[in-house]
Amino acid sequence: MTIAETETAGATSSSPEIMLSVNGIEASYGAVQVLRDLSLEVPKGEVVVVLGANGAGKTTTLRAICNMVTCSGSVTLEGHEIGKSNTADIVNRGVAHVPQGRGTFPELSVKDNLYVGAYTRGDKDGVEDDIDRWFTKYPVLGERKDQTAGSLSGGEQQMLAVSRALMSRPKVLLLDEPSLGLAPIIIEDLFQTFKSINEEEGTTMLVVEQNANLALDIANKGYVLEAGEIVLEGNAKDLQNDPAVQEAYLGG
Amino acid sequence: MDLFIQRLFDGLFNGAIYASLALALVTIYRSTGLLNFAQAELATFSAYVGLVLAGGSMGASFGGLAGTGLLDGLPGYPFSVPVAVLLATIFGMVAGALLEVVIFRGLERGSPLALVNVTIGLLIVLSGLTTQFWGGAARIFPQLFPADFDDFVWIGGARLRYTTIGSWATLLVVLVVITLLMNRTKAGLAFRAITSNRESARLMGIPVGRTLMLGWAVAGGLGALAACLTASVVSFSPFTMLGALIYALAAATLGGLDSPKGAIVGGIIVAQAQTMIPGYLGLPTELAVVAAVIVLVVVLLFKPSGLFGTVRVERV
Ligand SMILES: Nc1ncnc2c1ncn2[C@@H]1O[C@H](COP(=O)(O)OP(=O)(O)OP(=O)(O)O)[C@@H](O)[C@H]1O
Ligand SMILES: [Mg+2]
Repeated sequence: MTIAETETAGATSSSPEIMLSVNGIEASYGAVQVLRDLSLEVPKGEVVVVLGANGAGKTTTLRAICNMVTCSGSVTLEGHEIGKSNTADIVNRGVAHVPQGRGTFPELSVKDNLYVGAYTRGDKDGVEDDIDRWFTKYPVLGERKDQTAGSLSGGEQQMLAVSRALMSRPKVLLLDEPSLGLAPIIIEDLFQTFKSINEEEGTTMLVVEQNANLALDIANKGYVLEAGEIVLEGNAKDLQNDPAVQEAYLGG
Repeated sequence: MDLFIQRLFDGLFNGAIYASLALALVTIYRSTGLLNFAQAELATFSAYVGLVLAGGSMGASFGGLAGTGLLDGLPGYPFSVPVAVLLATIFGMVAGALLEVVIFRGLERGSPLALVNVTIGLLIVLSGLTTQFWGGAARIFPQLFPADFDDFVWIGGARLRYTTIGSWATLLVVLVVITLLMNRTKAGLAFRAITSNRESARLMGIPVGRTLMLGWAVAGGLGALAACLTASVVSFSPFTMLGALIYALAAATLGGLDSPKGAIVGGIIVAQAQTMIPGYLGLPTELAVVAAVIVLVVVLLFKPSGLFGTVRVERV
């Protein structure tokens, strides 16, 4: 009986399509509840976007996935429960996070920032190759590899934060408002990068954004978060044409 | 001029001690935001452990322990002074790391002020233990470097003592080792990342507690070494390092609290102020600490974040 049960559980939970699944999580800061029975699914190899206004709970959702805030409910990665694991284990299992405001290490050199991104990896040569790869992709980072990250411009820091997160060769990349504070042209370029990384490497992505149009352009699927609850979900094209979404997030 | 050089030399030894202790304080402060007031007591305890390992004269209860022959079973006991100092330093490192694991890791979410109170509590406990084991009286420790009356070289008409040369040589070697540890190892990189941005470091998969242990160990070892150096030069009591801690705190603050370089430079400056100012003003040596305070106040007046303290460059 136990064997049969385990097998069925295994079969459903290791369903190949779902990379990351968040099931009914609730989170509060003190007495204030911030997330209410929130569920979402990120299929393998896809880009999923979560839209929401300031204070909707987007950052909290991403932090809950990495167990950086206490929350109830379950989070699974490729069918394995990670809700109770500590952050280091979750990163080890393949979740990388570009936090809101980039979260670079301002006192460390650009190169050391990338090394920290590869902290969970053991293959030295592979790490060096990846660093070269990012320096080729973003030559400006290569030119400034020995400068402190704090001396980079906002756009350069975002490139660094993304490269750093990908240094861990993650299965899922969580991006918290990558467009924040960047010029439109840089944002467009950045989202193209996300798209090409997603297509070339098959990296699954969960992007949190207020800049709905660009995000939906590269996404397969989207959710709308309001006051800690999912109020709408659908495929990206449908959301882009949804009058309510247009009014709230696409400027009419 | 000769007198000036002599005072300069006289201040150098204390400079090494204050610099080491200040560096220990700064290492923990910049990674955890905590000023560890128990640093000096931990160092003192470690130095006494070194004394025991060197087979030095025992106090009441450790005399009993030595009598049981418990230590005689240790291969190589009693150890030569350099080995005993090395072992005391390792003891300080292990004890420092244990403090992180046993006490401070669980209190990570505590307010900084509450944590400072914990370190003061620790200070009292450790000080009590030291006095309990070895008594409160000052005692003479074995010499690490030749420290007799005539152990010095003449330079520029002034005496530079071997103990001063030896202490600085030791400190410089230790600084090189710490620099390599921090800049050339993965654990060092992780430690620097935590110091720079703890949240992000956690998001990169760095086990924060385990990595902070490294900082506590480095600080514990530095303190132990400083205490051993002090003990091998002056007659040493359980309270000697507490005096040094006052100067080391001034030195760390002067340097900017979060700068290792500032700690070293601050240690040298405070020790020089301690000998120069009373020397030239004819103040009694008991008031030497006033000199340190004067320098501190003057510097902070013009540079509020200390000589090398970070004014963070971080763009949004
Ligand atoms: N550390 C905290 N302590 C208390 N309340 C918090 C904390 N962090 C967030 N909150 C609150 O939780 C709610 C959701 O915050 P969250 O940061 O998840 O929003 P967000 O959708 O990411 O917003 P933004 O677009 O402004 O980044 C907000 O009301 C916020 O004030
Ligand atoms: Mg946010």
